[in-house]
Amino acid sequence: MRRFLWSFALLTAVALAAGLAGCSGGGSAKVAAGKRIVILTNGNSPFWDACRKGVSEAEKDLKLADAGLKAELDVNDGTPKGQIDKLRQYASRADVVAVGVSALDASNAEVADRMRELQAKGIKVITVDSDVDRDQMRDTRFAFVGTDNLAGGKELGKCAKGLRPDGGKYVTFVGRLGAQNAKERINGFAEGAGSKFQSLDSMGDNIDLIKARENVRNAITNHQAKGLNVLVGIWSYNAPAIVDVVKEKNVRDKFTVVTFDAEPGAIDEMGQGQIDAMVVQNPFKMGYDGVKLLKALVEDDKDTVKKMLPEHGKPNGDVYDTGLKVVVPDADTPLKADMFDAKTEVLKLGAFREWLKKYGLTGS
Amino acid sequence: MASDPTPAPAVRPALGIARFFQRTEWGLVLAIGVVLLVTVGLDTDHVYWHNPGPSVKDIVRQTVLLGIFALGAAVVIIAGGIDLSAGSVIAFSGTICATLLLWLAPDAVRLNQPLPLWVMTVACLGALLSGFLIGSLHAWLITVVGLPPFVATLATLVGLRSLSRALVAYVNQNSTQIPIPNREFRALANELWIPIAVCLALLAAVWLLMSRTVVGRHLYALGGNENAARLSGVPTDRLKWLAYCVSAVLSSVAGILYVASVAVVEPETLGKGYELNAIAAAVVGGCSLQGGIGSIPGTLLGALFLRVVMDGVAKIIKSSADVYEGLIVGVVVAVAVAFTQLRQAGRGGVRFFSGGLGLAAIVNLSLFAGVLLALLLRESELGGWTIFGSVAALVAVLLTGVRFAEGRRHKQK
Repeated sequence: MRRFLWSFALLTAVALAAGLAGCSGGGSAKVAAGKRIVILTNGNSPFWDACRKGVSEAEKDLKLADAGLKAELDVNDGTPKGQIDKLRQYASRADVVAVGVSALDASNAEVADRMRELQAKGIKVITVDSDVDRDQMRDTRFAFVGTDNLAGGKELGKCAKGLRPDGGKYVTFVGRLGAQNAKERINGFAEGAGSKFQSLDSMGDNIDLIKARENVRNAITNHQAKGLNVLVGIWSYNAPAIVDVVKEKNVRDKFTVVTFDAEPGAIDEMGQGQIDAMVVQNPFKMGYDGVKLLKALVEDDKDTVKKMLPEHGKPNGDVYDTGLKVVVPDADTPLKADMFDAKTEVLKLGAFREWLKKYGLTGS
Repeated sequence: MASDPTPAPAVRPALGIARFFQRTEWGLVLAIGVVLLVTVGLDTDHVYWHNPGPSVKDIVRQTVLLGIFALGAAVVIIAGGIDLSAGSVIAFSGTICATLLLWLAPDAVRLNQPLPLWVMTVACLGALLSGFLIGSLHAWLITVVGLPPFVATLATLVGLRSLSRALVAYVNQNSTQIPIPNREFRALANELWIPIAVCLALLAAVWLLMSRTVVGRHLYALGGNENAARLSGVPTDRLKWLAYCVSAVLSSVAGILYVASVAVVEPETLGKGYELNAIAAAVVGGCSLQGGIGSIPGTLLGALFLRVVMDGVAKIIKSSADVYEGLIVGVVVAVAVAFTQLRQAGRGGVRFFSGGLGLAAIVNLSLFAGVLLALLLRESELGGWTIFGSVAALVAVLLTGVRFAEGRRHKQK
């Protein structure tokens, strides 16, 4: 019995210690008290750092604290289960009032059901960056804030077309071939590049940066003889992977390199002439405008919602486009603004860097 | 505990109230209660108090899924082995289940139409059969080929996930996943009573096997001292076959339920790292990794304890709790197991902080406590360095006091 009492005393002591720690924590929690607007990512990448900046900028600009609100970015572990667990967790908490989800998998029925459950509890739900299946699951969210990946792929394809008017053969590199944005970008690329371009392979690396480089090495070894001359990076980290291998093999003059997103490393490489064009999304704006829309929904601020989504209720009126940029080197380039969609902004690298600096970003 | 022939607490006769309260299970119930109370107190919204329903459902759902394959891990550990493959067996059997669904009813799966019951039955049986075969493979590699259990199950841990990925790519046109959107199949996990019933039925079966049958006692004997067991005529090889099959089949059951709960098979991520959760649940639940000791109800309580801690962390920290989840679970597991081990070994008078290593431990724990609290309370007005300094100093003083007290007690003896 004595030993039992001893253990009980120890447990109580541990609990008390934890309690004490928590009481001092309570002070900080009070500062941060309030209802939460959460942006849930699909996985982890520098892309989300820019989004996080947008979220905290919106928190300050839109004075969320005055409205008893707080905005934050919650990073998923890149698995469907992780996303489902987090959505369940929000449903069981009292402080989450609005959620922006970057759907890891557009047509996952369970993710959709969890989003419906949140809505049924009165929590406002939108998608950010990556939408759900628009044919089957539109009802799971109020709107989508992000970029049209198919359109982005097309713009990247047009870059390749502009750089190689006679056509070419390409390989696409991506984290996961099954991801919705990967599929859309790859299909968009083929469409934008046109019939003179032929795809030799699409290689997935499962977000393993070492494997990403191996894939580029294998592609060059296996396909150079077949006429491979365009290397296409589909996810942000594929750009530095391509550049590293091209430099290592000293074959820059044989390949056109076009990539998605602008990681800090990729921006430097473009400055050194290693990348010919980048199609850049605006994760900062996704975070900022995602929070703005969710705040308006929470406060039932119909004017702001109307301003952001004037066509809501009509076909595709629930899509809020955060825009695309095509970034080209400062040196001479055959790529001109009139080759792209009117809504797409074409920027020289210098101007793009200025834009990043303005918002304190290192990449986008 | 090879030298300790005492069977598990589960079969140890209860001698009076003190003995009863000393059991690992009771300690766990107490610990779970403490964690729940701490969570109620520290969660600024007090969700457990005001609206416990969704949290209870979530914890139960996660616990029964983890519990199912943790029971299997416990059986193998009690029998003196180790099964590192649980996560990959979950992925593989889930893949087999989804593949069979897709082959037998391609239209129903692709177009989300009602799935016939017989298709679901065949798919589930196929997954269970794959579990049985994997368990048999483990037993063969260990007893016939002579591989250590660690190596045999490490090989399948790596190999089966890879095989599952290749299979999915083959079956579903180079995709990395097979979506299973059908409501009937997802009901296996979403109708919460089904996983609960499955878990309780398996708990009862495994508990009966381990504590009420000769086979169960032989498994404890095998884990306690394999040579002695063999010399006493216990069929050790066949018992290992049984233990590894129980583990793999239970992982397959969990695999089916996990697929139903996420509506997709993605072998790259499904069940990744879960083997360690299962082993942690078993060990927290009172199983000794040296074999021969362990409790089946304790293992389920261990799983519940882990999930309660994880949910508590999410409720208290609120923003990006999962960043700290691993850290806190790691600490809690180490404390809980150290606690059990010390009690089992009856080492109440052990000196934790004597000598050079003890000093290093004081430095370690003080720094650790300081860093942890400075990170957790980073939003407070006090500032990180102040919190770090004061907490580290406080813990250092406390532990140094413990060191002196230990020294004096030792001298008195």
